[in-house]
Amino acid sequence: MKTKHLKDWENELDICIRCSYCFEDCPIFKELGWESSSARGKILFAYGFLHGELEPSEFIAKRVFDCTLCRLCKEKCSAKVDITEIIEACRADLAKEGFVLPGHKEMLENIVATGNIFGDKEARAPVQDGETPLFIGCQYLARPNRTKGWIKLLEKMGVKPKIVEETCCGFPMKALGDREKLEKQKKDFKKKFPFKEAITLCPTCAAFLKEDYDIDAKHVINVVLEKLGGLKPKSVGKKVTYHDPCDLGRSLGVYNQPREVLSKLGVELVEMKGNRNLSNCCGGGGGMLVSDVPVSDRIADKRVKEAVDTGADLLVTACPTCEQVLSKASARMSEKGQGSIKVQEMFDLLWNAVK
Amino acid sequence: MKVDIQHLKKIVGPENASDDVAELYIYGSDASVHQAMPDAVVRPGKTEEVQEVMRYANKNKIPVIARGSGSGMSGHAVPIDGGIVMDMKRMNKILDIRIEDVLCVVQPGVIDDDLNRVLRPKGVFYPPTPASSRVATIGGEIANNASGLRSVKYGATRDSVLGMKVVLANGDLVTLGSNTRVEASGYQLARLMVGSEGTLGIIVEATLRLTPVPKFKAMAMAKFNKLEDAGKTITAVMTSGITPSVLELMDNVAIKAVNTALNMGLPDVEAIIMFEADGRIKAAVEADMNDIEEICEANGAFGIEMSDDPKEMTRIFSGRKKLFAALSRYQKGLSCTSLADDMAVPNSKMAATVQEIVDVGKRNNVVMTAYGHCGSGVVHTKILMDTTKPGQWDNARKAVSEVYDFVRKVGGTTSGEHGIALSKAPSWKKEKKDSLEMMRAIKKALDPNNILNPHKMMDAPDDWVKATDLRYTTKVQ
Repeated sequence: MKTKHLKDWENELDICIRCSYCFEDCPIFKELGWESSSARGKILFAYGFLHGELEPSEFIAKRVFDCTLCRLCKEKCSAKVDITEIIEACRADLAKEGFVLPGHKEMLENIVATGNIFGDKEARAPVQDGETPLFIGCQYLARPNRTKGWIKLLEKMGVKPKIVEETCCGFPMKALGDREKLEKQKKDFKKKFPFKEAITLCPTCAAFLKEDYDIDAKHVINVVLEKLGGLKPKSVGKKVTYHDPCDLGRSLGVYNQPREVLSKLGVELVEMKGNRNLSNCCGGGGGMLVSDVPVSDRIADKRVKEAVDTGADLLVTACPTCEQVLSKASARMSEKGQGSIKVQEMFDLLWNAVK
Repeated sequence: MKVDIQHLKKIVGPENASDDVAELYIYGSDASVHQAMPDAVVRPGKTEEVQEVMRYANKNKIPVIARGSGSGMSGHAVPIDGGIVMDMKRMNKILDIRIEDVLCVVQPGVIDDDLNRVLRPKGVFYPPTPASSRVATIGGEIANNASGLRSVKYGATRDSVLGMKVVLANGDLVTLGSNTRVEASGYQLARLMVGSEGTLGIIVEATLRLTPVPKFKAMAMAKFNKLEDAGKTITAVMTSGITPSVLELMDNVAIKAVNTALNMGLPDVEAIIMFEADGRIKAAVEADMNDIEEICEANGAFGIEMSDDPKEMTRIFSGRKKLFAALSRYQKGLSCTSLADDMAVPNSKMAATVQEIVDVGKRNNVVMTAYGHCGSGVVHTKILMDTTKPGQWDNARKAVSEVYDFVRKVGGTTSGEHGIALSKAPSWKKEKKDSLEMMRAIKKALDPNNILNPHKMMDAPDDWVKATDLRYTTKVQ
């Protein structure tokens, strides 16, 4: 197997001493139990490919794509090996050999055809002139009302969002291993979004714009924290637990800001067992939502259980995917009589406090 | 003999057995330098399944290698002769906690930290605490006789195991030890299993002695400009009448590595020693800490910082617990290899040993570090080298040999807590030369077909480099 992308990680793979600390809380390993499903297992697959000790197979591809890219493994790694990047490189080399999971293939083709992951030809950014570039992203293009709400809120806070006809940032192409499509998508993205700074509504877009385009991207919650005081928000007066989205937390290091926003809204914040850099994943990342729904669901159920255990009235998050996944999990658990909790995106709380 | 995977699937369930080459590849290595492919992996969920697999394996003379989290550093779980790797992590229930008897009963796949998270609110804990306690299973710890940070006061695994249930090579289930703190007569068979590295039986249940959680704790960090002074301090503390609950040494290589990898902010000095004292009475803990401070100062320590802030203590000790992997970040291009690893030496030889380790590294053109639970005599080292260069492996082999020659010369032992398996067998066999036949006789009596983790410890190859493929691509002669 050709290992064009893994080659870049040869030294890093030697740094890994295979101690297994990375699988302590790996959400996939917790569900599947086989070491091949753990972060260390994926590292070993990468090593095996790189050194010609393994040939690719559907089994390995499934294992390597069974990952939410939540980055908890790197957090747990004492040598801070960039395990997620290695997994993404491994996915890229596997994809090059034709190992792409069916659901993922469709998602990637959707981006090429329509500029968004859902393949929605009608989805359009609400173009408007303004001062600060605002990147909407696929998830919010699919939620036009919520998007309008965010724009209204930003305007209320004195921000003048500049919105252009946009296309997907390309992160799914990197995450799912199609580097050729990614390079083309990046060119297209840069043409359409030629800015040096941006606000994004989605944490994953913020992280990707920062890391791969060198754009000074800020997730909207940072802006809210700066400007919220001027709106004199009403106190929400609820007991809330906050779910740290992986890309907002472990990728961007934004842990305090959403909590400070919640504090300004007068909520009583109670933390889940896994929080901040050790937050547990919602199960919705890395392509798992389409490639392995049952495992993704089980991870989400566990996260909701953690939230229920806090005794909070509300589970709040700052990522549209997390909100969707956790809401469904809460409904599922409620049906099974295993307890439930109302799940909201930060926007809902904010809007109620300032409208 | 080819493994009948269908038969194994019937025993443990189709979803719990595999002979997929990719799965076998993953289960062929651990945290050591070794790797070898098994023929099958099974994940039993109950004792009866373990028995059934053993009966099948024994009848067909197929090796069986029990495995916990695969965090061993000497190749314990590496299937040198192929066979069946038995992943015990599904058997992970805490079966009973009997506070009135100060013991608990667990299955082998229970993770050490998970157990202590359940025990501590009840006022007790299971003390061995290896640095890998976040992933290490109790079964693996027993098989390896693990110990760790608190072994200086609370002992090793052997001191906390009262009894166990073990499946023997022929599938028979035996109950060893007792539920009592003392048991006078007969061969101490439970103890025989502790540290036997999976060569005598498969542990399926363990009865563990618990220890009350001390009410008060305090720690201190002493800095040294000379590694040798730190070594002298360890000897002085351990002969002073104080038994600290932690006494950890880190040399400059170790300090730099954790600072680089984890931004720990430890002082960049030649060595530091971290002490902890604990107990039921605050004044007694404080008195111990004051005495330790005096001893440190008398032996050249400076800038001694004390704390009883639990958060700060956790932060500092977490840096120590993460050291093994962090060592790979000491210097770009050098990887941390687990070769000469965890020797133990008599108290009086501590200063000479830590200095010798560093000197051996320099003589052989590899970086070596000295750290460890030196209060209990354990000195850890690792060899940091460019693993892509065959010459570095030659140097490492020489360095390993010189370190162990020294350890034996001063009356120490090859492994204080990580076990022998493959990497350390050459030195250990020299150390134990007049008891190896006794061990082989025991092994033969319990496992006549030699199927339980064969060719480890006393039966391991004499040259660790040639024992298996190494996990590095560089071919080492």
